[in-house]
Amino acid sequence: MTDSTKGGAIATVPELLAHALAMETEAAERYGELAVQMETHRKTAVAAIFRRLEAAEKKHLGEITHLCRNVELPHYAPWDFKWNGVESPEAIDTGRVHYQLSVREAILLAYEHERKAAEFYTGVANSAQAADVKALARQFAAEEQEHIGWLEAWLSQCGPGDAIATEDPDPPLGQE
Amino acid sequence: MTVQSVSLVIAGSGGAGVVTAGSLLLEAAAKAGWYALMSRSSGPQIRGGEAAAMLRFATEPVMSHDDSFHLLMAIDWENIGRFSAEIPLVETSLIVGDPAHGDAPAALLGGRPRQAGLAMTAIAEKIENGRPNMVALGAIAAMIGLPAEAMQAVVEQHLKRKGQAAIDASMAAFHAGIAAAADLPAIPKLPAVAAASAPRWSITGNEATGLGVIRGGVRFVAAYPITPATEVLEWLAPSLAKVGGQLVQAEDELASINQIIGASYGGVPAMTATSGPGLSLMIESLGLAVAAEVPLVVVDVMRVGPSTGIATKSEQSDLNIAVYGLHGDAPHVVVAANSVADCLFTTQWAVHLAEAMQTPTLVLTDQAMGQARAIVPRPAELSFIGQRLTATAAVEGERYKRYAVTASGVSPMAIPGTPGLTHTADGLEHNELGTPSSQASDHQAQMDKRSRKLTQFNYGDHWAEIEDAEAGAGDTAIITWGSSTGPAREALRRFSDAGGKARLISVRLIAPVQPEKMAAVLKGITRAVVVEQSHSGQFYRMLRAFYDLPQDTRSLHQAGPLAFGPGRILEQLNAWSS
Amino acid sequence: MESCAQTKKYAAKDYKSDLKPIWCPGCGDYTVLNAITRALAELALPPEEVAVVSGIGCSSRIPAYTSVYGFHGVHGRALPVATGLKLARPDLTVLVTGGDGDGFSIGGNHFLHACRRNVDLTYIVMDNQVYGMTKGQASPTTSPDWEGSKLTPEGTGINPFQPLVVGLASGANFVARVSSSDPVNMAQIIVEAIRHPGFSLVQVLSPCVTFRPEQAEWRDIVRTAVVDVTDDAARAARRLMTDDGFNVGKVLYKGNRPPFRPEFEQTDGSVAELEARFAL
Repeated sequence: MTDSTKGGAIATVPELLAHALAMETEAAERYGELAVQMETHRKTAVAAIFRRLEAAEKKHLGEITHLCRNVELPHYAPWDFKWNGVESPEAIDTGRVHYQLSVREAILLAYEHERKAAEFYTGVANSAQAADVKALARQFAAEEQEHIGWLEAWLSQCGPGDAIATEDPDPPLGQE
Repeated sequence: MTVQSVSLVIAGSGGAGVVTAGSLLLEAAAKAGWYALMSRSSGPQIRGGEAAAMLRFATEPVMSHDDSFHLLMAIDWENIGRFSAEIPLVETSLIVGDPAHGDAPAALLGGRPRQAGLAMTAIAEKIENGRPNMVALGAIAAMIGLPAEAMQAVVEQHLKRKGQAAIDASMAAFHAGIAAAADLPAIPKLPAVAAASAPRWSITGNEATGLGVIRGGVRFVAAYPITPATEVLEWLAPSLAKVGGQLVQAEDELASINQIIGASYGGVPAMTATSGPGLSLMIESLGLAVAAEVPLVVVDVMRVGPSTGIATKSEQSDLNIAVYGLHGDAPHVVVAANSVADCLFTTQWAVHLAEAMQTPTLVLTDQAMGQARAIVPRPAELSFIGQRLTATAAVEGERYKRYAVTASGVSPMAIPGTPGLTHTADGLEHNELGTPSSQASDHQAQMDKRSRKLTQFNYGDHWAEIEDAEAGAGDTAIITWGSSTGPAREALRRFSDAGGKARLISVRLIAPVQPEKMAAVLKGITRAVVVEQSHSGQFYRMLRAFYDLPQDTRSLHQAGPLAFGPGRILEQLNAWSS
Repeated sequence: MESCAQTKKYAAKDYKSDLKPIWCPGCGDYTVLNAITRALAELALPPEEVAVVSGIGCSSRIPAYTSVYGFHGVHGRALPVATGLKLARPDLTVLVTGGDGDGFSIGGNHFLHACRRNVDLTYIVMDNQVYGMTKGQASPTTSPDWEGSKLTPEGTGINPFQPLVVGLASGANFVARVSSSDPVNMAQIIVEAIRHPGFSLVQVLSPCVTFRPEQAEWRDIVRTAVVDVTDDAARAARRLMTDDGFNVGKVLYKGNRPPFRPEFEQTDGSVAELEARFAL
């Protein structure tokens, strides 16, 4: 389903803002959900990574929400957004995390999705006709680039232990 | 006052029309101003099997069959011997058979009844379209003193659609029967009664059960057919539609109990009716209704168990499963009707209890009362209407607690559709919010409230029916429940007529138990007989477990389908007083 | 937080409760929860007018994780509860969520009859071919040679249940298969399922990462079905019987049967009229 030209269908600032708002909302929510998953399973180091990213996305979401004030945004059903993939690019696919996710794996996953987000905005900037859309998309891409920079820094700070899957010697439990 | 009554059986095999004949007789008796009770026994065939209609007529309400029958009118002898235990005959009884079918089977003659012949077939053959069962009805009417006009009216009503010729043929056979009765030995006649002064109903226990739940407010019924409860559901299907309710036939009893849980969760009072095998399947989900606090009513029209048992015959042997069948500690309500007419009261009350306490309520009736038809005084209007404590609006700044721990134990229930009060009702143990919890403190708190709402409820005087002999209670009690109440009540009256003192306690509220109320009515009682129709004495054991019974308490129990006649109970009372 | 000009009445998160799911990280059910909440937001249904009903199992935990009315019953009986609720309260939108064991094994009979009865419900089955809550036993949809369970160490040797084919044969009015790896597509199909009258069956391939870790590969195996929706149940069934179970993302069948509603005798009758029939 990957179609790198889809972002090109975004022609106006309200359309771009609607995408940005949805992307940042879902990214913030998804990082939060993943943090909860990891906290629930006592994976505190990985959970901390997701919490930091959630905070960053919330801040970003606040900024975009500010930009959206007084703008009438078009309505998109979830499947009508012009993403390049199946979901908004910045939201980590929940099916790709797992119980024994290492800190390094978590950072790599986030890195992958932040890069997809930047690619999305870059794609819009390159294909849009309108100057205001191009400018705003470039600005958003640059902001994503900032997150990518953090993640690269975190990756470089990872010690050998951060690459090791968390262990649990106990077997799964029966519930209901 | 001892009941002035006459008891008779009409028996025969397939095509003899004994159930129809019995129904006509019952209706005619009602027109003549008598009270009546008719129950039936039948073989295992879907059609054409041996059948017996057992009737008792009296000038006052009839609650039970007598110890023996005055008359057995046998249209033929096919397999009637199978009923011999259910048709007690004594030396004063009379068997009337058709000589065309030979002699009465030996199984019927143990009590040395008198015998006579009535050539029903031959007489009927002389009349165009005449039927032997109408000849039999004519003879019976003449023998018991039933006016021919009463039967004329009933036959006209029933055969109106078939035309005047059919009515004339039936009445000709009927009158031929009356004429032939002149040659038969006598049995007791009932006195003629002035037209009934107070209004009366003709109703079966199963119909009364259906009416009771509708009166109580039930508007959703899920149904899976099972003998002998099917008639409850069959009556409800068209009747609910008339009052804006609905009945849905489910794929099995697991579905019917869960459908009514869903409907009731949706705010519509709901019930189902079943018998032992179906109740067994519903048990797990009844526990769900306890935990999720969903009001509902399940009527168990008991039949002989275990397993498929004897589907067409009565027994009071589902008491244990009704009270103890649920896994875990699962406080719920069990009530029992004590007569055909009481099916109406008890089921209406059950809806009220279920809704008020947000709890599943089981109603025990049985085949004997469910499939019996009785002429009864018009039942009283009752004020019990199911009223549920609901939460109707969100409280600012407060999270709605579906299972809030309250003093009464009852928590206001938000009905889907109510804004701001969404929640998940859960069979998992939960906290006050309904959130699943495996913590001991939540389990304790929720168990306490589920138990408290039942124990603190005011059941009023309805927990039992108490009746004393005219001379007073003395020191003797009959403790019973359900269908055994009828014969026990009659035993008490006979004992009372003979100057005896005793008290009848018929327990309607089986669970939760009422030890304080029982202690009050047992004050001064030093001996008691516990009467029930179960092989193991389930009721006696339950009383022993929960109540302080008199030192001298006897258990009078026997397996179904045989019921205790009043005489067996009277024997015990007499033995004590002699 | 500052809010912008809202174009939607509800956001997906408005349909989530604050209860934290206990599912294993990576579980497909997280995606299903997200798809359901997105679908409800898109339909702009007030949360109080929606009910989610479930039985027992990992996926049956969904009602508590939503902010709509929920009912979490016993194992295998979600469909009858939902049937009673919807018939008693036709004004509500009723969803049923559950797993393959709950729906097709212990609840198999209800599944058949729910399809037959065609009450206006949407049944979302998260199929992971395993019992997760009880530590990984074979379910009706497990392949016969799966040896991962201590209960059936040699495999079950039993033919797997084909839910969509059985659903079609039994009368389901809407049939679709989706994958948890595409939550947006799933949301779209759930919206269609809710909108379509009658009994809608949505099978979700939802991996169990703990007891069937090999199902992580499903995301790479699934492909978008190359079929158009049909109203011919036989045609849809033939397609399903010949596919490998991994064609997803499309509505496969939409029937035209009217949903079940008992025949209401619209009446102003009273209880007194019923009683009058007993009077002599």
